[in-house]
Amino acid sequence: MPDQNSIEISHLSKTYKGNLDPSVNDVSLIIKENEIYGLLGPNGAGKTTIISILCGIVKSDQGKVLLNGIDLANGNESIKKFIGVVPQDIALYPSLTAKENLAFYGAMYGIDKKTVNERATIWLEKLGLTKAANKKVESFSGGMKRRVNLIASLLHEPKILFLDEPTVGVDVQSRNVIIDLLKEINQNGTTIIYTSHHLEEAQDLCTQIAIIDYGRILAQGSPQELIDNVEKASNLEDVFLHLTKRKLRD
Amino acid sequence: MLQKLLAIIRKESLILLRDKIGLLILFAMPITLILVMTLIQDSAFKTINEKGIPIVFVNNDKDTLGNTILNGLKSSDFCQVSTSKDGKDFTFTTAQKAVANGEFLIGIVIPKGASTKIRNNVSDLVAETMALDAAIPSKKEAVDITLIIDPVAKNSFVSTITSNLHEFIAAVKTQMMFQSFSDQIAEILPEGTNKPAKANEKTDIIHYKEIYGSALIGKDVPTSTQHNVPAWTIFGMFFIVILVVGNIIKEKKEGSAIRLKTLPTSYLTMMNGKIIVYASVCMIQFFIMIAVGVFVLPLLGLPALNLGHHIEAILVLAFFTALAASGFGVLIGTLANSEQQGAILGSLLVLLLSAIGGILVPTYVMPEIMRKISMMSPLNWSLSGFYQIILRGADLSGIAFNCTLLVIFFIITVFLSTIINKIRSKS
Repeated sequence: MPDQNSIEISHLSKTYKGNLDPSVNDVSLIIKENEIYGLLGPNGAGKTTIISILCGIVKSDQGKVLLNGIDLANGNESIKKFIGVVPQDIALYPSLTAKENLAFYGAMYGIDKKTVNERATIWLEKLGLTKAANKKVESFSGGMKRRVNLIASLLHEPKILFLDEPTVGVDVQSRNVIIDLLKEINQNGTTIIYTSHHLEEAQDLCTQIAIIDYGRILAQGSPQELIDNVEKASNLEDVFLHLTKRKLRD
Repeated sequence: MLQKLLAIIRKESLILLRDKIGLLILFAMPITLILVMTLIQDSAFKTINEKGIPIVFVNNDKDTLGNTILNGLKSSDFCQVSTSKDGKDFTFTTAQKAVANGEFLIGIVIPKGASTKIRNNVSDLVAETMALDAAIPSKKEAVDITLIIDPVAKNSFVSTITSNLHEFIAAVKTQMMFQSFSDQIAEILPEGTNKPAKANEKTDIIHYKEIYGSALIGKDVPTSTQHNVPAWTIFGMFFIVILVVGNIIKEKKEGSAIRLKTLPTSYLTMMNGKIIVYASVCMIQFFIMIAVGVFVLPLLGLPALNLGHHIEAILVLAFFTALAASGFGVLIGTLANSEQQGAILGSLLVLLLSAIGGILVPTYVMPEIMRKISMMSPLNWSLSGFYQIILRGADLSGIAFNCTLLVIFFIITVFLSTIINKIRSKS
């Protein structure tokens, strides 16, 4: 069982300019090394903002974040070397081929050309993209783009991997391949922080889950603990609806 | 660091090379502008520089005054004088009609007997001065020289012609006065003394010599080629702003910008990679445009571009212009939030800076206030640098100030982009 803290968040808050309500409101949590931690919540709950703060894209208003013991406020640049980020949007250059995209992102992590090429070839094969490796990304299906999007974040073998809805809009086959891959890299020692709307997928994948709404953590624990704590709940969806209610969100 | 920079350069080059329409615009647009604008403006430049101002001259006098003015204008570089059409001498009416039709910018009509009238006036004046017959009062007869002016003729043209007319008339009057004095004195002096002869020829004692500061073409006013090729080349180079803006906005829109923020590579390195690629494209653009000026324009009957003797100065100036243009693109791209916003902002600013910078209309025909404002445009710093080299034979030291301004502009744009990016990242 993991015992070292990979991520420590204390009293994290963020209110975007022009907004009255905070997107993240006094969030504190600890993510142990080698966990797959799921951040679940309705639209606008604050999941993406938390991930954006953790990977240094957005600055928090308050609070402290330690990644592998390094304070995010002081060591942003050194932290970037051991984290990987899979954004919600496809962050690839459409007019470049899959291999060209991976070569570029690999070089940005300071990995030599040969190693990038070797790793890219392995990942492309694992995700069923070998034949498409030299085709432009703009010609790919949504699922193929998602898979390349994931590989681009794995080339430097990150210790912590952030994934913001990595399976949104993909078919079942692509989703299964992605989930299997996440399990594999977690087994190899990577801590994963993951957001999703697929509760079944989260229940299957995550070792720990936090349910968030209106920028606050409503509950956290293992999937089974969360289910056990809610009366008559048989799965994560029951827990989710019990905690976040049925009101529609924007 | 170098590995990252090379990777960025490779990525940007591939993206650029695959944007066929963008490349076409980047190279075809300035070439077309050079060809079209040079052809259009060639006749206008020729009017001033080569053929001279077209003038219709009606010499009803056919005596000293009319002939002196006619010969004077004919020998002048800035006039193209016509006295007849289809074998018929112009009259006041036909000259007026020809000016009204736009065939000539200015018409000059010397009335019949003008020389006789001046001669009489001068004789009377001399006689009065010599007091040979104090009882005779002087009769002054006015001589009316008529100027017919095309409304489109610039005031400066009209002023040039009138000042030349004054000069010719003054010369004729002086000659006549000397001749009259000489005749009067000859009458007073006894026989056998040395009488003054051909006094009028001795009045021509002051000569003007025109030399030019430049050893090159000898004129500060460029030909259509020498204005248009550097001007539209600079415009084309600055038009790279549109591509740089499009590239940066696409990264933001497509989500790559988000991932780029999570990479252990600084914003400045990312932007430097872009600047190297786009500045290189600007240099390629520059070489193509110059080649068009030197080799293609003469094929169309236009004057070839004369690059002067300091090619190294031209290359240095082109390089700093390329840097300034790319830096400007990065700034606009960082400022803009959407492709439409970036395209509109970029193209309008380039057009505005071109207009005030003397690209569309040369600064020497601008009013004084606009000439001062034009000095604020980086396109003007570049264009005036090119003029210094190709018109006035300046070397590197002659364009050092222009290059310094372009470098400062580049540093400011990159610095501002970095600051803006930092501020936006924090919000």
